[in-house]
Amino acid sequence: MTAHARRHIGTASVSLVILLGSAAVRAQGDNGLTAPDVKSSVPAPRAADGHPDLSGYWKGTTDTKPGGNIGKDLPGFKLPLTPAGEAALQHNLTATIDPESLCIIGGIPRHNASGLPFEVLQGAKKVAFLYWYSYFRLIPIDPKRTHSDDPDPSFFGEEIGHWEGDTLVIDSIGFKDEKVWIDENANPHSDALHVVERWTRPDAAHIHVETLIEDAKFYTRPITYSRTWVAGNADEELHEYSCSENNVDQAHLGFGPGPIRPDGTRGYLDPAPLPPLPKPVK
Amino acid sequence: MRLRTAIVAASLGLAAGWPLQAHHSFAAEFDGSKAIRITGALTKIEWTNPHSYFYLDVKDESGAIVKWACEAGAPGALSRRGFKKGDLKLGDTLVVDGYLAKDGSHLMDARRVTLPDGRIVSGASAGDGGPGATGQ
Repeated sequence: MTAHARRHIGTASVSLVILLGSAAVRAQGDNGLTAPDVKSSVPAPRAADGHPDLSGYWKGTTDTKPGGNIGKDLPGFKLPLTPAGEAALQHNLTATIDPESLCIIGGIPRHNASGLPFEVLQGAKKVAFLYWYSYFRLIPIDPKRTHSDDPDPSFFGEEIGHWEGDTLVIDSIGFKDEKVWIDENANPHSDALHVVERWTRPDAAHIHVETLIEDAKFYTRPITYSRTWVAGNADEELHEYSCSENNVDQAHLGFGPGPIRPDGTRGYLDPAPLPPLPKPVK
Repeated sequence: MRLRTAIVAASLGLAAGWPLQAHHSFAAEFDGSKAIRITGALTKIEWTNPHSYFYLDVKDESGAIVKWACEAGAPGALSRRGFKKGDLKLGDTLVVDGYLAKDGSHLMDARRVTLPDGRIVSGASAGDGGPGATGQ
């Protein structure tokens, strides 16, 4: 190895150390979409009515894997599809474009499996979940309220909230059965979907959900999906995102999500490398 | 310059493995086996959602001008990385590295953009599951 080459490698090593060091420092305070998990001994704040206050700007943790897969917590990420569910999955994979890429609301439970931050604003009688693409859901908190006999189908469903101790329970029925993927991997749900979310704030820095997903048409048994998010920085908030402003790519999108890797995420397993970096400008 | 290049290279590679959610899957639109580089003059900028677009006039081997569209992340994603609309002006020569659209059109994913001043920025859509996706 020449002295010149050694100097080069030495410079690169120093650069890498600087990079990794700065990444470790930035981890708590950067403005990325996701963040490393943190420890917190600060108790959850409480609202005036005594319940935990779930309000905040919440970011997924970088160790949440596989992202975007509703089967995250199942062995092999394998969903228990019925024959009708398998047919619906094949339809989604081969004949549908990701509804979210067409600026259609992702709905629940898909938004809970999203990698994008969201914001919660909690009141005594309603709680609002605000999402990245300028979508929202507004959920009544009323223990006396019951579901309608025949709710109009929607992407978030007919949602009703109530408190069970320090847990906010959101029970939802009345979902769409067209133009919906239950997650990023094109898994399906039917109009028989019933979702029960159990939201808690274990400490000031975390919000957590336990999700029960029942859909007897497409799944042989209920699925559970658990997830924890960390609080964003004080200066972070949602911004305008006009999804259909300039959706050029919708004319170029193929059906389905493309290949799914063995780790349960979407994308190519072994993509071609980009060309070498251009020569530096002197 | 060398440090800057190293940072970009590392941010495009080492941080892979956090693919979460983007507006659409990289693989639904682009061919991961077809990495290319184009160099051309910037003719139009769309700093828009759900993606930003740069349009370049690129000379082909015969000298004819071919118009290319380069798809990049949303404005919010780019600006979080320090890539602002003001970094571009019409007529600039850009080097864009990325992947061809699967449908064969003159559309590519602007994975890596080299600006006229030599700065190299990631134009990737946040968390699209594409090569080197960081989720950011």
